[in-house]
Amino acid sequence: MKKKEKIKLYESLFYIREVQEQLIKKYRQGNKMRCPMHFCIGQEMLPAVLRQLIDKKDSLFCGHRSHGYYLSKNGPLNQLFAEFYGKKTGVSGGMSGSQEMMLEKINFYSGALLSGSFAMSIGDAFSKKYNGKKNLSVAIIGDGGMDEGISYEVINMAVMMKLPVLFICENNLYSTQTHMRERNKNLNIYKKLLPYGIKTSFINSNNPEKCFLKIKNIIKDIKSSNRPVFLEVMTYRFNAHVGPESDDHYNYRSNKEINSWKKKDPLNFYKNKLIKEIKDFENINMLIKKKIKNKINNAFKYAEQSKFPNSFEKFNYQNTYSKKVKNFYNNQIPFDEKQEEHKPKASSPY
Amino acid sequence: MKSKFKRKLSFADAINEAQVQAMKLDKNVFILGQGVEKGAMVFNTNKNIEKKFGSKRIFDTPNSEQAETSFAAGAANAGLRPILIHQRVDFMVFSFEQIVNWISLWSFKSSGKCKMPLVIRAIIGRGWGQGPQHSKTLHTFFSYLPGIKVVMPSSPSEAKGQLLSSIMSNDPVIFLEYRALYNSSEHVPKEPYFLDLSSPRHRLKGKDLTVVSMGASTLTVLKAAKELSKINIKVDLFDLRELSNFKMKNIFSSVKKTKKILVVEDGWKNFGIGSEIISKISESGIKLAKPARRINWPNSHVPMSSVLENKFYFDHNKVIKSCLELCKKK
Ligand SMILES: Cc1ncc(C[n+]2csc(CCOP(=O)(O)OP(=O)(O)O)c2C)c(N)n1
Repeated sequence: MKKKEKIKLYESLFYIREVQEQLIKKYRQGNKMRCPMHFCIGQEMLPAVLRQLIDKKDSLFCGHRSHGYYLSKNGPLNQLFAEFYGKKTGVSGGMSGSQEMMLEKINFYSGALLSGSFAMSIGDAFSKKYNGKKNLSVAIIGDGGMDEGISYEVINMAVMMKLPVLFICENNLYSTQTHMRERNKNLNIYKKLLPYGIKTSFINSNNPEKCFLKIKNIIKDIKSSNRPVFLEVMTYRFNAHVGPESDDHYNYRSNKEINSWKKKDPLNFYKNKLIKEIKDFENINMLIKKKIKNKINNAFKYAEQSKFPNSFEKFNYQNTYSKKVKNFYNNQIPFDEKQEEHKPKASSPY
Repeated sequence: MKSKFKRKLSFADAINEAQVQAMKLDKNVFILGQGVEKGAMVFNTNKNIEKKFGSKRIFDTPNSEQAETSFAAGAANAGLRPILIHQRVDFMVFSFEQIVNWISLWSFKSSGKCKMPLVIRAIIGRGWGQGPQHSKTLHTFFSYLPGIKVVMPSSPSEAKGQLLSSIMSNDPVIFLEYRALYNSSEHVPKEPYFLDLSSPRHRLKGKDLTVVSMGASTLTVLKAAKELSKINIKVDLFDLRELSNFKMKNIFSSVKKTKKILVVEDGWKNFGIGSEIISKISESGIKLAKPARRINWPNSHVPMSSVLENKFYFDHNKVIKSCLELCKKK
């Protein structure tokens, strides 16, 4: 990797971490962000890497733990925070909150119910193939989402229809507070997928560069072969499943386990690596921090100052038609009043 | 135009023609579902489409209703106009999650910025010895849900116009085809045409009582009305198109005149469209001369045995009886 790429990767890791930490800090102040949030501290590696590797025209579908991925698609921070504040200027105009954001201009889609967003990626990928576009769809899911049957239906369909999808499972071992081993015989999901005939890949490393290089190759492969790939990445969530406070007092995971993962924190690991590799890194890092802290402060200000929305019912329906519809008859059809009935045949196919 | 020059089409052929014309009009329209281009071609509604448009635009899927629905939703969000077909509405229940939690609220949760121009066609209702797992209608399940349009045509010409309008709609539409209608036929205009789905069709004009129906029940009412007109009872009949949303204006004016209302609906009685119409009339304050009436299926699953099957479903005689009772002078 080039020096510039390395610094950018570090910046992305830091950016996603810092946004989470500042949100956690502010969450309870004044009780202004009134929606559940699933933070991703500890899990920044994948979104940071994708930020560098995917194109604006590639679509990304993810679940409830979405902040990192929104930022990986370079979603505007101002709109993100405004959504959390329930403001009209928010990503979804205050209709969705943190769990269900979508922003079509950056091709970013998410939703809280397990695997539904992941599943829509195949239709999105189909549209790219249908229109002869060279882009791909990225579908993110957790190990918990991979308990759902639809995930396997979708992978099967992507294989059979040769769709350009990069399926990524972030295996952080837990679904809320339930460990993988209480839910599955096989601790690795990619192994369950081998008989589906999909190419699989596995990353168990806290080195963002390894992850970067692997995904770079996978994307190249998908674009040239027009076939889906399933990648499983081992990771760990440092924060609670949901909300700004820790949930470790429920004792669902051991201190030993938590500490061993924290020691492998990808952000720390990478910072130390770059300090050794890049001469003036401390200075560069200072500038990055300053820039990002500024950006975050401005986003909070923007969210605070934005207006609340005042309508919601009109969003349920578009009530519009394709531009191809020109002559709307409005009931003036020369209908015949006579409708003849024939006896249905006894032996119909269904 | 003299009626012998008028071209007649069956309900199935009208659906076929609507799809073909939509596919010509817009290259983004495509069809998917289990066995959609095989065998009986979904009651012949898909015949010759593969020949005309190729396998890119009509294709078979694995038996994975959930994935099929997510597939269609993802494609619709990306600008295509999928038509997803379920050979029975009962199979579509597998995809409730996708419809309820994603498709119906897609526009809403993007504050109106994202569209879901998707049609889900499903075959409903009475067949021959189909029993409880192949004969439901479930139209009110979906009509209850904001963000979805539920459409149910009653005749070939209605089917063509309603399907074309559904395909070109930028909202998700569930298009319910009552199986008993496939073989009925009538005049269907050749050119593509579109209908205002939220306007019920004023199917018969009459002064004696107001009847509202939808889908196959409209055909049953027409048959009854023909008999009734012989004894000079004239039915004012409204045929609903979009069940999830319909304008009540003309129905209100009709009921104001006739002071009698009967709703005929193939489907369970409780929480049905009939309940909705009668409460709307009640809320409007219109005074009725006789208590409102509904004809529905019993609140029971459908039995297979033909003797019980005949008991389960209503026919035009039951409609005639209800109309006579409503019109009886005290
Ligand atoms: C269909 C459905 N069932 C249950 C839930 C409740 N739920 C929310 S998040 C979650 C855990 C999901 O775990 P995973 O997919 O591994 O993602 P993670 O939270 O670890 O990022 C559960 C069970 C849900 N959102 N949707």
